[in-house]
Amino acid sequence: KFRMPTRDNLVPIRVDVEVDGQRYRDAFTWNPRDPDSEIISFAKRTAKDLKLPASFVPQMLQSIQGQLAEFRSYEGQEMQIKEKIMPLKIDLRVNNTLVRDQFLWDIGNLDSDPEEFARTLCDDLNITDPEVGPAIAVSIREQLYEIASQSVSAMREAKVSKKRRAPEFASNSKAMNNAVDMFKYFGSKGSVIRKRKEWYLYAPVVDVVPNEEVVVVDTTE
Amino acid sequence: MATPPAATATNSAPTPPKPPYKAPPFSQPPSTAGAGKTETPAASTSTAAAAVVAAVAATGAAAEEPSYIITVPSYSAWFSYDSVSDTERRLMPEFFQGEAAAASGSRGPEAYKYYRDTLVKRFRVRPERRLTLTEARRGLIGDIGSVRRVFDFLEEWGLINYGVSLPGVKQGRDKREEPVAPQSSLPAGVSAPKKLCIGCRTVCGQAYFTCEKADITICCRCYVRANYRPGLTPADFKKVETSEDAKSDWTDKETLHLLEAVMQYGEDWKKISEHVGSRSEKDCIARLLRLPFGEQFMGPKEDKMQFETDDDITDESRAEISKRVRLTPLADASNPIMAQVAFLSAIVGSDVATAAAQAAISAQSQVDETNDSPADSSIGSPKEEVSSAESCYTNGFSANDLLKEASANARVQLEKERKDIEQSLSDIVDVQMKEIQAKICRFEQKELLMEKERQQLHYLQKLLFADQLAVVQHQCRPHAVTAENEADENPKPVLTS
Repeated sequence: KFRMPTRDNLVPIRVDVEVDGQRYRDAFTWNPRDPDSEIISFAKRTAKDLKLPASFVPQMLQSIQGQLAEFRSYEGQEMQIKEKIMPLKIDLRVNNTLVRDQFLWDIGNLDSDPEEFARTLCDDLNITDPEVGPAIAVSIREQLYEIASQSVSAMREAKVSKKRRAPEFASNSKAMNNAVDMFKYFGSKGSVIRKRKEWYLYAPVVDVVPNEEVVVVDTTE
Repeated sequence: MATPPAATATNSAPTPPKPPYKAPPFSQPPSTAGAGKTETPAASTSTAAAAVVAAVAATGAAAEEPSYIITVPSYSAWFSYDSVSDTERRLMPEFFQGEAAAASGSRGPEAYKYYRDTLVKRFRVRPERRLTLTEARRGLIGDIGSVRRVFDFLEEWGLINYGVSLPGVKQGRDKREEPVAPQSSLPAGVSAPKKLCIGCRTVCGQAYFTCEKADITICCRCYVRANYRPGLTPADFKKVETSEDAKSDWTDKETLHLLEAVMQYGEDWKKISEHVGSRSEKDCIARLLRLPFGEQFMGPKEDKMQFETDDDITDESRAEISKRVRLTPLADASNPIMAQVAFLSAIVGSDVATAAAQAAISAQSQVDETNDSPADSSIGSPKEEVSSAESCYTNGFSANDLLKEASANARVQLEKERKDIEQSLSDIVDVQMKEIQAKICRFEQKELLMEKERQQLHYLQKLLFADQLAVVQHQCRPHAVTAENEADENPKPVLTS
């Protein structure tokens, strides 16, 4: 039952290949149902578009195929799907734009859509650089993927060890630490409205960085 | 660099190894000539049409000349930012059919529209530049597979990267055979050997670059795009001008002879070239054009230029002439061909441009009448040129009728538009009224409910009062009268006791 807990079962892929001093870094979403021949043609096309030497292609291919294979290895397995609200974080820099944000996401909602979230965020914050959106979507997907795979391994542990209850609680507590206890909020004393002093934690921050700083950061990376 | 002679590979791009799309009976752009039209990209290679049709906004041109410019299929009259046409629905079913699409998320019609609109807008911002998939998908939020499919679809139908030269090296590799054939059939009148570019296999135009190290010749475009072996640097290349005059300088004597001959023989290029001596007819014509006053002589002769094949100038005039002026409201200034036309007509002057346009219109109407493949224009013998030039002029008057017809059409359409607008306005007003009425109904219902509840409450109150009364009566009979009075005033103290 494993799948990405989003409406579309898409895999986040990150590629970081270095050949002869040239570095190619990229992140995008891939549909695991696309045939493998697509991967090859995509790698070739990307190398051609970016004018990279052909030596990049096999490494790119390997990286992408590896990540897809890992995703597929999870696919047959059981996953726990229940409503669980986790905070997700965005902290990335794309060209000249810095985005930092934190928000709560229900990982049990199989209809959630990181792409739509990214689109709305960029529109609302008037982010002009079109490359920021995909980066945000990929970042969210990566975090969700991480959580989903943790849930799969937790289930596996629970099955392996005969004592069902204790390990479940123990391993879940790792994730539970992050999960927000909704009772606190919706109980009789709580209110749904976030406390004012917590607003700054959850407000998105967008900075536009001047070019010199970008150069500096790039070289340090 | 206006006309892309290096567009050899565009022909192959629209003919991918996919199964050809079923020819959809979509409406053809009304003003395009009957000949030389292709409905599907897969059939593009079959056209041998030489008539070039002007492209305005989304409409494409079908053109093939004997040498470089490659057929681009006609298409895309259906494209509009506001809606998704049936063609798109049919050809991109993944977005419009199936349960995945119904979810209307990353897979639905809105996603398709978002990808398509973003891609087209992005391309149109810089229409001379080729939009690569990588660059495009970096700005699109969505999965790569779908973006790639939409991108390929748009590129195939010319909504993206239309008229932009392709990188020669990798893509052109297996298509080299095609452009080589037409180039080898260059007419015999070529005065000097043309330089073929190694990178994109097209004839270099005004200038080219040579490299001593590797003995390679590349054209300007390939030089700029660094379309040469990785081992070479831009510094290794030297620029070489190839103007007609540089090939073999026209001495003053020859120019004089040329002018004399023109005065004497008028349009008979054979005789002129004889008179001049060692110059081919094409050279003479070219030289005459290049002369500052050459336009005066060449005014009536410009329509013959469409039959010339290899000269750059003649290419431009041909492209300009054979484009048909389309009277549509969709004049997209970013369209590369229209930009070319504007540029050329600015250079050449208004008189020449109008003469050319007139000749073009008449030639086009001629073609329409005969409904023949405009392979006529590829015939290059001077005599036929002369006769067709003359007949072109007599047909020039039909241009007026065409214009009148077109303006009438435009007016009719305007009327229709106005009526449509009024209709939709009244529809909107109707809908608003209905909304308000519905709201009023709902409020009335709510009022009724409230009334009922109030009555119930009253009733309950009365019951309560009656109960209290009974209790009091029960408790203290002697005080029944006074208790009643008390109960009348304030029931509460009675209850608590």
